[in-house]
Amino acid sequence: MAIAQAHASPTRLVVIGLTALAVFLPLGLIVYQSLLDAPFFAPHKVGLNAFGFIFADGDFWDAMKNSIVIAAAMALIAVPLGGILAFLMIRTDLPGRTWIEPLLLIPVFVSPMVLGFGYVVAAGPVGFYSVWAKDLFGGVPWNVYSLAGIAVIAGLTHVPHVYLYSSSALKSLGSDVEEAARMAGSTPFQVARDVSLPMVTPALLFSGVLVFFLGFEIFGLPLVLGDPEGHLVLATYLYKLTNKLGTPSYHLMAAVAVCIIAVTFPLVMLQRYLLKNAGKFVTVRGKAGRQRPLPLGGWRWVAATILVLWLFVTIVVPLSGIALRALVTNWGEGVKLVEVLTLDNFREVIGQPTLVRGIVNTVLIGIIGGAAAVACYTAVGLATHRKNDGWSRFVDYLVLVPRAVPGLLAGLAFLWVFLFFPPLSPLRSTIFAVWIAYTVVWLAYGMRLVSSSLLQVGPELEEAARSVGASRGRVSRDVTLPLIRYGLLASWLLVFMIFEREYSTGVYLLGPGTEVIGSLLVSLWGTGAAESVAALSFINVVLVAIGLTVALRFGVKLHD
Amino acid sequence: MTDAATATAAAVDKLRVDDLHLSYGDNAILKGVSMRLAQGEVVSLLGPSGSGKTTLLRAVAGLEAPHRGTIRIDDRAVFDSAQRVELPAEKRNLGLVFQSYALWPHRTVADNVAYGLKLRNVPASESKTRVEAALTNLGLGHLGARLPHQLSGGQQQRVAIARALVYNPPVILMDEPLSNLDAKLREEARAWLRELILKMKLSALVVTHDQNEAMAMSDRILLLNNGVIEQQGTPQELYGQPTTLFVADFMGSNNRVPGKIAERRGNAALLAGDGWRIWGEARGAAAAGADATGMIRLERVRLAEGAGDNVIRLPLVTSMFLGDRWEYLFHQGDLRLRAYGARPLPPGDQWLQIPQESFWIF
Repeated sequence: MAIAQAHASPTRLVVIGLTALAVFLPLGLIVYQSLLDAPFFAPHKVGLNAFGFIFADGDFWDAMKNSIVIAAAMALIAVPLGGILAFLMIRTDLPGRTWIEPLLLIPVFVSPMVLGFGYVVAAGPVGFYSVWAKDLFGGVPWNVYSLAGIAVIAGLTHVPHVYLYSSSALKSLGSDVEEAARMAGSTPFQVARDVSLPMVTPALLFSGVLVFFLGFEIFGLPLVLGDPEGHLVLATYLYKLTNKLGTPSYHLMAAVAVCIIAVTFPLVMLQRYLLKNAGKFVTVRGKAGRQRPLPLGGWRWVAATILVLWLFVTIVVPLSGIALRALVTNWGEGVKLVEVLTLDNFREVIGQPTLVRGIVNTVLIGIIGGAAAVACYTAVGLATHRKNDGWSRFVDYLVLVPRAVPGLLAGLAFLWVFLFFPPLSPLRSTIFAVWIAYTVVWLAYGMRLVSSSLLQVGPELEEAARSVGASRGRVSRDVTLPLIRYGLLASWLLVFMIFEREYSTGVYLLGPGTEVIGSLLVSLWGTGAAESVAALSFINVVLVAIGLTVALRFGVKLHD
Repeated sequence: MTDAATATAAAVDKLRVDDLHLSYGDNAILKGVSMRLAQGEVVSLLGPSGSGKTTLLRAVAGLEAPHRGTIRIDDRAVFDSAQRVELPAEKRNLGLVFQSYALWPHRTVADNVAYGLKLRNVPASESKTRVEAALTNLGLGHLGARLPHQLSGGQQQRVAIARALVYNPPVILMDEPLSNLDAKLREEARAWLRELILKMKLSALVVTHDQNEAMAMSDRILLLNNGVIEQQGTPQELYGQPTTLFVADFMGSNNRVPGKIAERRGNAALLAGDGWRIWGEARGAAAAGADATGMIRLERVRLAEGAGDNVIRLPLVTSMFLGDRWEYLFHQGDLRLRAYGARPLPPGDQWLQIPQESFWIF
């Protein structure tokens, strides 16, 4: 119900205005730059030359084709597997469900850069598992550097995204529909295939589109895995474009960026549409509330095998690879593990001021930056809370816009903002530059965390405060914020993990003073410093693991 | 409204609503509602769900935005569409008791009650005294340090009332104040609340969907239907002199008797059906020959010894034991009547007397 006097207060307009500025300024610069025939700081003419150049480049079309193939393959792998895993975890009596769930979510919180590197050192031509496989079978039956290899790995690591959405849909499904199928003679897998999963079709469809969309954005995995055989995707094509013409080819990069956004933006709008309609389907559910897990019987071994196999390939292989590589001097055929064990890699990292600064910055941006980001998200959330007017609808769409801009592009755009507006340029070499880019890139995610807390506050609690005489501001301060404080703490923790994991946004902002582990990994990978990459990756995983442990310890819900 | 009530209302109107219109989009919720609330008076807003009674209360509180009309509190306009006056909820200085109580779970009972005083910059020491006085007044003296979830439903309701009363608002608004209590507790709370209102000389506007609650608690009842006031008056007037079929049907337990008007003599009309004719009081303009509905309260139907004026003979279907009395069900053709009595009846036909002045024909 509408509360009277939902007029726009000055504070509210300032919050909305700043958000719009932070979203549209970088985006506007990308579009503007794409319409020039040279970097904006050089003499330039307006025109479509940049687009002409990249459209004439065969590599661009290869990258486009690879992106589409990988994105489609990811959706084809992740949706069925994620749906089955969600069914097993939510609806059945599979043993060990409670402790498996956090493991399932690990790929969401570990940087793809780290995972990609993990696959190289674990399953590359001379990786640990490849060498062991060669000893066992006399050959390596896989190739992680092939296009198919990249697609399978990307698909497997995006299973959790499908799991998240289909599991929350499955939770609201009554047991009676499944029991009816059992009575009619279905095996547990037939129940999943014929009843449970079809009933959560909207969630599966939504996650399919989401995974396809994420497939268009992926940067770390194809950067690391696509390099040896020269497979480019759009994001890596853009990254390699940096110096194609000798000078920074900002106009070409902007043109590629516009092409990527032209694909991702409609996908984001489609996701919004699907999510809004997902609720309607749930009306056909059976009686919710009473849920009895479906007994798997003899099928539990099949189920457990699927789950363990996925966990092994997606989590154990890359993470054990990282851990081993960080602790050995070198690795190859014929090398004995015990002879090469060392802590030198970590000593080396600690000996380099840049890397130490990167680690410190990463911790700071997670803890302090995370808190500041949650504060910003809360301000935006309160600006639209219980105000159902044009401004709120505007913000609704506004926060979705950065979702369509991959981190790599957002970082580039912010670099341009700092270069383009001289008064802002001193900020470029401070960690603030990275923080604002991170905060804008994760705006949609953060807003979802904050607004799900806000939605849990009963409207009458706020109305009661107004009726005893509290102004809107006082209501927020005295009632709304105290009531959502635990929700905000949980959001802080989740944003901390996301900020620890983030890598692509910092790539173009990397410079003295703005080092973070994520962007250092990308840059070190380029120089081939495998030992430092391994040690930094290891530290990165540890930081995320600390966040995850705290989250589990305090019972923070990792998803809706 | 009686003349006496009009006179007092004109003297001290605590609350006055004139021609209030409110809609959600194209959906009109209030279609021109006018009402008054005098000093020390309890007025109930009664009506079926969707009648607009809660919306009216929330519009008075400032939580809904009407688009036409005026709302005056203590003769000060808090909403006036013509003058473009719209005071926000927090500036209206009203007390509102929510259906769900809406106690803030993160504040103690005393802090919940004290919040309104804090917002009015009442010094801490005075605030403490007033909160304690309010809590003691409502029988909660010892519970100030508790958190809301540690209280029973009845206690939570009292805290919600204390919170709305502590800063002496000119009018207290209550949204279904008793509906969250269980049935047994509700009747006790009803008597307690009426006593409290009289003792503290409160002017109260109460929303309820329960006619018994409305009749027991209020000096006047406004019966809303579909966004307009169907009838207003004392509980006795609404119960005894309903002006429309809707009001007559909404109040009390009734027998509805559909038929045709066979004859009309001034205020009296003869309703006839398949094999029966009953004289009643005409409550509408319907002339002879028109379809009409007769209505009589269950408790007005009396058993008779034998034939007579307005006495009909009907077969008994069953007697139902209600605890303090019996309810009889008679049925023949299109005529279905229920009545109360003190003892079970033997099977067979019975004579029923329908008093002419209690049989209303709409």
